[in-house]
Parts: sequence; structure tokens; C-alpha cells
Amino acid sequence: MPSSSSKRGRLLWLYAATTLLALLSSAIFHSAPSRAQTEVKLDTKASGTMKTPLMLARFRADGPVGSLPSQGRAIARKDFELSGVFNVGDVEPLEGKPVADPTLTGTVRVEGKVEQGQSASFFQFRGQAIDVGTGEIALDRTYPFTDASLRETMHRFVDDVLEALTGERGVAETKIAYVQQNGREKEIWMMDYDGENPRQVTHDRSLSLSPTWAPWGTEIAFTTFKRGNPDLYLFDLTRGASYPFSTRPGLNTAPCYSPDGKWIALTLSRDGNSEVYLVSRDAQSAKRLTRNTVIDTSPSFSPTGREIVFTSNRTGSPQVFVMDAEGLNQRLLTIEGSYNDSPQWSPKGDKITYAARHDGIFDVIVMDANGNNPIQITSNAGHNENPHWSADGRKIVFSSSREGKRQIFVMNADGSDVVRLTQGSESFNPSWGPRPKSRLTVRGEASGGKGPG
Amino acid sequence: MRLTTRMSFATLFGLALVLALAPGCASRKRVTPEANVPPPETESTAPAPPEKEEAQPPVETSTERLALQDAFFDFDDYSLRQDAKSALEKDGKYLEKNSRTRIVIEGHCDERGSVEYNLALGEKRARAAKDYLVSYGIPTSRLTTISYGKERPFETGHDEDAWAKNRRAHVVSK
Repeated sequence: MPSSSSKRGRLLWLYAATTLLALLSSAIFHSAPSRAQTEVKLDTKASGTMKTPLMLARFRADGPVGSLPSQGRAIARKDFELSGVFNVGDVEPLEGKPVADPTLTGTVRVEGKVEQGQSASFFQFRGQAIDVGTGEIALDRTYPFTDASLRETMHRFVDDVLEALTGERGVAETKIAYVQQNGREKEIWMMDYDGENPRQVTHDRSLSLSPTWAPWGTEIAFTTFKRGNPDLYLFDLTRGASYPFSTRPGLNTAPCYSPDGKWIALTLSRDGNSEVYLVSRDAQSAKRLTRNTVIDTSPSFSPTGREIVFTSNRTGSPQVFVMDAEGLNQRLLTIEGSYNDSPQWSPKGDKITYAARHDGIFDVIVMDANGNNPIQITSNAGHNENPHWSADGRKIVFSSSREGKRQIFVMNADGSDVVRLTQGSESFNPSWGPRPKSRLTVRGEASGGKGPG
Repeated sequence: MRLTTRMSFATLFGLALVLALAPGCASRKRVTPEANVPPPETESTAPAPPEKEEAQPPVETSTERLALQDAFFDFDDYSLRQDAKSALEKDGKYLEKNSRTRIVIEGHCDERGSVEYNLALGEKRARAAKDYLVSYGIPTSRLTTISYGKERPFETGHDEDAWAKNRRAHVVSK
């Protein structure tokens, strides 16, 4: 690790230089949009105007590997594009060793080769990422796989490339939970981050809503009416089964785990009015955080776990408020608009996204965590609601009615590169899962995720 | 015992009437402790009552038909409008006459806004209707509430007509 840090540092610097160049040119050639002001940050946030050129070589084959190279490459290509970090172009594979090309400083080249493994259905993928300007190899890694695990292998490779080049892994290995409606029934579903492999999680034939991921990635908390009352259940993805967590009279809604996983913030109305509570994950203790006669709901922890952002209508309409995790120091955050809801804190802690209603339309806003600089990142495309950050903070998933029925979409955190993930039945309430903690966990999740039946 | 409850019904009903007749009085206020709350946003541009016609309960006929009625609400609001109070008073009468009937008050919302906020809003609407019936004299033990938020709409349209019908406390006998 330490030996590669100088290499990574240089690449980071290159990346920063290209993004600065791109930013400057966009500022010169376009009449500098006001949002650019908040984006002069040389980090690796996804953006439509600051992308690293990536030359993706045709993957080579060694032995009887059939169409695996082209299949794998298609998956990797989509991953690189969805990362929001790269502009992907297609090239032929390198002949011989990479050579420095200073005319292409800041460009990345990715090579791949699929080889036959020791027996029939076992293969190896060798992937390389090359800094074209210096000719240095930033990543060179071999991944054993079977034809059943090609997709997840490619996702892992792309996240490895992103980590090697930017210091921050991508989210190609993550999942998104959401709600799908069929007739009067609403069930929890999940899919890969790119919309592939949609599968039903709950089979309660009831109303199941507001899924949210445990930080360890194998549990989803959600509200279900299956016993008549809006109760909070936990779904264990490793076992494919759910069990009740909070079944107090009235609302048990809007769950959010603390970053350490020890608490679940949620809305209870057992006092006759919706209030934000913390209930310990072992269900042994409950703390009431809000205390008034109005609506308080939709809590979301800061990544440090020290603060909670939430929705309250104590000023007469829903607005985004913040408080300490003990419930103290409650204060209004949103400075614009008459209707702001569904706040979610970014994984780096610097931003908060929420949905605002303006002129009868809902749109996604991103603001600084102190409430300053609210920027509307969706527009003129139906209602856009329920924004939720990806684990790397580069992307936001949300629901939109831009094509009629509500569907799940993703975009870069500045609103660029909108991609639809779901189709068919009405889908909403997306929640982006954490990165997998270990390979073992991933396997457990994959087998449990298929659910019963 | 029975006599005193009757009397308290009468007093409360009288009080409700007085409140109703006093224009712009406490009846239009939100249930918030803060006094200077802006008026609730209504989707129609009409600034003043009477409320939208779609939301009006049917006009009472001479042969006073007693059946359970729903209370309707303005957008993002859970204060009881005059028509909602009239509907609930009819429910109160019905429950007085049918003293063994227990009811569920379901809070419902229109499709706009988040799942979570609307579940809380529906809860507020159901509770507001329940509180009104309790103050009318119906024992709490006969009244339960549940919120469906925006998840069980009565009308599936996407216009003010449908929305007005979906913003309600739906009163059903158990």
C-alpha cells in the first residue's frame, strides 16, 4: 500500500489538473453558471464538466472463453460511465508494454484479458489501468471467476480502478432497495446499482414502504402494514426473512440507522403525535428526541452520528431541521422555499440533499450541511423526489415521474448524466446501500437476496 | 351519569355552533402552539371559504339520513374545516344512536409529497377527527385511528378533483 501511494498521489494531481483545466475552460466558454462557484473543489466528485478521459481497450481472450471478454467489457464500460468520473472511449488493446505519452497527460487506459482457468467453468480476468501520460501502471490485478460471477467481478475491477486512480472506491458493487407497486400491494425490492438483477425482497401482499439499509449491508429496515398497523420490521437478507422491530400503536415509520449501527432513528406516534425517536438496534431502549404538537419525521444521521437532519412542519409547512443526536439544539436549516422534505446527509458530511416543492413541482436540491447554497439539480422533468446518496457521494438516486409513472433514476451529484434504472411497475422510495464489507458478506447477501419463493 | 353526559354533549355542541358562527375564529386555526402561522396553502386560488365544492358533503335531506361521513381537508393541512366539523357532528349523532358501534378513523392524503411525511400527515388528520368526536362526547374506547398516508387513494387521478377526495379522515365502522 505505502509503495503505491506516491503513484496514486501523482495520478490524483493529474486528475486535479485536468479537472481544473476542464473547469476553467467551461467557465470561459460558457457564461459561468452560478453553481460553478461551489464546485471549485479539486476532489473526485462526479460532474458533467470534469471528467477524466478513459480509453477502454477491447478485452483479449486466451483459450476457449467464448463471448466472456465482450460481455465483461460491456459491463465494465457501463460501470466506468455510471461512475460519473470518466469519459469512456474505445480503443484496440496495447501491443507490448505501455509507453509514456505526455501529449495524453491525464488520460487513463484500461486493458483486460480473459483466460481459461484450471477447469471448464473457471476463468481468470486480468485487468490493468495505465496512466497514459507517464506510462505507469496504476493497477494490475487478476480475478478468478466463474461465468456466473462475471458481472460482480467486473464491478469489483471497476471499483478497484477508481480506488487506484482517485483514492476513493466507486459503488459498482452496491445495491439499491426500493418499493415497487403492483395493484394495491407495495413490496420492497432490490437491484444492483446499475438497475440489473431486480428482485423482490418482501412477499407480504401488503403495504411495505421506506426501506433503509443497515450500515453492514445485510439488513433492511422498512415499514409494513402486514399486521394492520404501520409497524417497523427488519429484513435479514442472509436468511431471507423479516421480523418485527417496533410495533408500537400508531406510526413506526421513516427508519434510518446510526452510522455505527447501534441505533435506528424513526418516527413514532405513540404519544398522539409523530415524533422522532432513537430505538437501540437490540430494541432494549428508546429515546424521544422531538417534543411538540406538530409533525416531526424522516430523520437522517450525519456520517459522524453526532447530528440528525429531519423534517418538521413547526413553521407551518414541512422544512428541513437539524438537531444533535440527543435531540438538543433543534434549528431550521432550509433558507429557501415553502415545502422541503426527505433530507439525507451526504456520506462525507459536507452536503444535504432533499426534495423541495416549488410551483407545485417537486425537485431535488443539494445544499451545504449548514443550510447554505441550496442548488436545484433536477428541473423541467416531472416530480423528482426521495433523493439518496451513493456511498461515495458521487451519485444520487431518486424517484421521478418524468416519463409518466414513478421510476427510479440515478444522476451525478450535480444533476448531470441522468439514467433510468427501473421500468414497468411504479417504483419509488429508493435507498442506496453501503459498500459490501467483505466478500463473505457479499455471498451471503446474494444468496439471501433472492428471497423465499 | 347518563344525564350528565347528555348535558355535556349539548354544551359542547352549542359551543361548536358558536365557534362555527364566529367567522375567522379559532376554528380555522392550526393546532400548533405558534400563533402566527401563515394560512394553509390551498391549491385553488380562491382566497376564502366556501371550500371547494368537491369536498362538500352531500346536502342534508329533510328525512335526516344518518350514516358515517368522512371529513375532508386542505392540502398539507389537518385543521378541521367547517364542512369537516359538520360531517363529524353527524358521525357523533350516529354514534350516539348506535351506542355499540366502534369506528376506525383512517387518515388519508393526496399523492403529493413523500411517503413518510404523508403517513405523519394522515395520522394528524385521523387524530384531529378523533379528538373532535371525543370532545363531542364519544368515548375514546370506541374510536381508533390509523394512517395510510397517500398509499390507499380513493381516486387515482392526478388533479385537484382527485386530490380533494383523497385528503380525508375516512370513518368506518369496525
